[in-house]
Amino acid sequence: MANFSYQNKSIITTTFLILLAFLLILLLRPVYASVQEASTRSSVCGNGVKESGEQCDGSDLAGASCTSQGYTGGTLSCNSSCNFITSACTSSGGGGGGGGYVAPVTGAVFNGRAYPKSTVTLLKDAQIIATTIADTNANFSFNISGLTGGNYIFSGYSEDNKGNRSSLLTFPVSVTSGATTQISGIFLAPTIAVDKSEAKRGDNLAIFGQSSPNSEITISVNSNEEFFNKIKADSGGAYLYNFDTSPLEIGQHFTKSKAALNGEITSFSATIGFAVGTKNVLAQLPTKTPAKGDLNNDKRVNLVDFSITAYWYKRSSPPASADLNGDDKVDLIDFSIMAFYWTG
Amino acid sequence: MLYIFKMKKLKLQLKIQKYLIIAVLVFVAMPVFAAEVSFDTKTQEIKVNQSFEVGVFINTDNEEINAIEGKIIFPQDLLEIKKINHGNSIINFWIDPVRNCVSNGVEKPDEICFSGITPGGYNDSQGLILSITFLAKKEGNGAIKFGEVKALRNDGQGTEAPLTISNFNFTVRETAKSTGQMPIVKEDRDLPEEFVPQIAADPSIFGGKWFLVFATQDKGSGIDHYEICEGKRKCIVAESPYFLQNQNLDYEIIVKAVDKSGNERTVTIPARFARAWYKDRAILTILIIVALVYLIWKTLWKKRRK
Repeated sequence: MANFSYQNKSIITTTFLILLAFLLILLLRPVYASVQEASTRSSVCGNGVKESGEQCDGSDLAGASCTSQGYTGGTLSCNSSCNFITSACTSSGGGGGGGGYVAPVTGAVFNGRAYPKSTVTLLKDAQIIATTIADTNANFSFNISGLTGGNYIFSGYSEDNKGNRSSLLTFPVSVTSGATTQISGIFLAPTIAVDKSEAKRGDNLAIFGQSSPNSEITISVNSNEEFFNKIKADSGGAYLYNFDTSPLEIGQHFTKSKAALNGEITSFSATIGFAVGTKNVLAQLPTKTPAKGDLNNDKRVNLVDFSITAYWYKRSSPPASADLNGDDKVDLIDFSIMAFYWTG
Repeated sequence: MLYIFKMKKLKLQLKIQKYLIIAVLVFVAMPVFAAEVSFDTKTQEIKVNQSFEVGVFINTDNEEINAIEGKIIFPQDLLEIKKINHGNSIINFWIDPVRNCVSNGVEKPDEICFSGITPGGYNDSQGLILSITFLAKKEGNGAIKFGEVKALRNDGQGTEAPLTISNFNFTVRETAKSTGQMPIVKEDRDLPEEFVPQIAADPSIFGGKWFLVFATQDKGSGIDHYEICEGKRKCIVAESPYFLQNQNLDYEIIVKAVDKSGNERTVTIPARFARAWYKDRAILTILIIVALVYLIWKTLWKKRRK
């Protein structure tokens, strides 16, 4: 009887301890999972959506502005680590104070024009470093710190109100150690689109896009003879030109545009094609998907796509997705095509 | 009559000759608009046992160039490579690391291959591609030459830009007065630039399994190598794209970018997924402690009963 009682007690105790252990595990699991979740979320900085653990993400500032951060004005932007950049915010009044040594910061300030309320993306050595929203006059500003003295290739692009992306504008900058380098007068090229992929000869072709408000737009239509037409963008930066296709021959043609404002002039926009024929065919609506080079279909052409293509460099039988010019090999030409469509 | 005809024929021949000469002169005198790759050095006379740096530059001549490749060939009997520096380069991504060319699996010690891109294009007159520090070994005349250089336009089609090439002829002398272009020794304390490695998967490589991509620059001496540390695995030197050994992505990954001066920039990528409970050290420790407590308690209880 005593032996039975001992065995019984032992079983009960063992069961109790096992249950206790599992209870401990269950109690510990949620704590562990939440830590992992936070880590996982932080790893998606750069997806354009502000999530927990982030102050902002790309153009998603979660409603924050310079004023909500204690400044009186200016442009709040987001850096590549998903933290606010307040260096372009301004404060008025106050004063006094001072003293103490402030270590010199190596950085660069970029000022320029894009399109009103458009998202402007800045790339440092071809990788996105910050995004911001241009103001109603299309002005934007970036203040980038944490640089080292040396040569950088900065580049930028913007998206208009219809989702059209501008071509990538690059500007080599020599940054001086311990100083802030000012880069002004950046003027992003206009966006451009046409309403028809094929226009019946003699019908009008609408050429439209966006630039800075009230800028003068020069539209070039390439044929045997090059046609130049000028039009003024409206107060929202939008422009529309109805081009009479009568003088154009049947066949493929191209158009591009550039903008001028207050003595500053942009480079030409991306070149887009259209055909002049015997019927009208409506053009597709602009999509955010780059025409070429987006191998993993994330609507971006960046390091991931470059790395996939680099894997196939000089290897036999590359996949069609990596062979951008369809010549059954991955060589420098494919990388050049990818570099043209780069978004970072 | 025959005389007049001959005279006319002669005059016509002279006229044709004159026009041909003018045409040839115009063609020769016409400026050639083309991008140029060249070596930048201050002197062509180098002393034996002296190090000198040669910069490799591109002048795009108003062309937007976004991709370049080629090789640099040097006389191995006269020169020895001490260092290749691609810090401060206009090239943002190297397709292949800058190193000795390999032909049919055999490394060529007298050839350096380079290939890279500048997204968005580069258009300027003094674009540094890379620089090489050589050591002059013995007396003699030689040349550092370019081979199979291609520069492609930023036009979305990768058309080849016309290119002129300027090689570098030099003389190594025991008695050379010139000190050549001595490399400026600067202390490089700057870390490589900040970077964000990305985990990705694509059906076209590594069988659709997870891989890691990474790239950064170092403005001082250039990136020497990258190291990857996956969870508790040993850190290894790696190139992008890197096939991840831990496909469960349940351990953090550390990526180190090391420059040629030994400065390191370390980036930690947190585990993407939670580990299975039995892989967690804390939980295992608790279980062991509980088991030990139970065993001790059981032993003591048994002793008390006796």
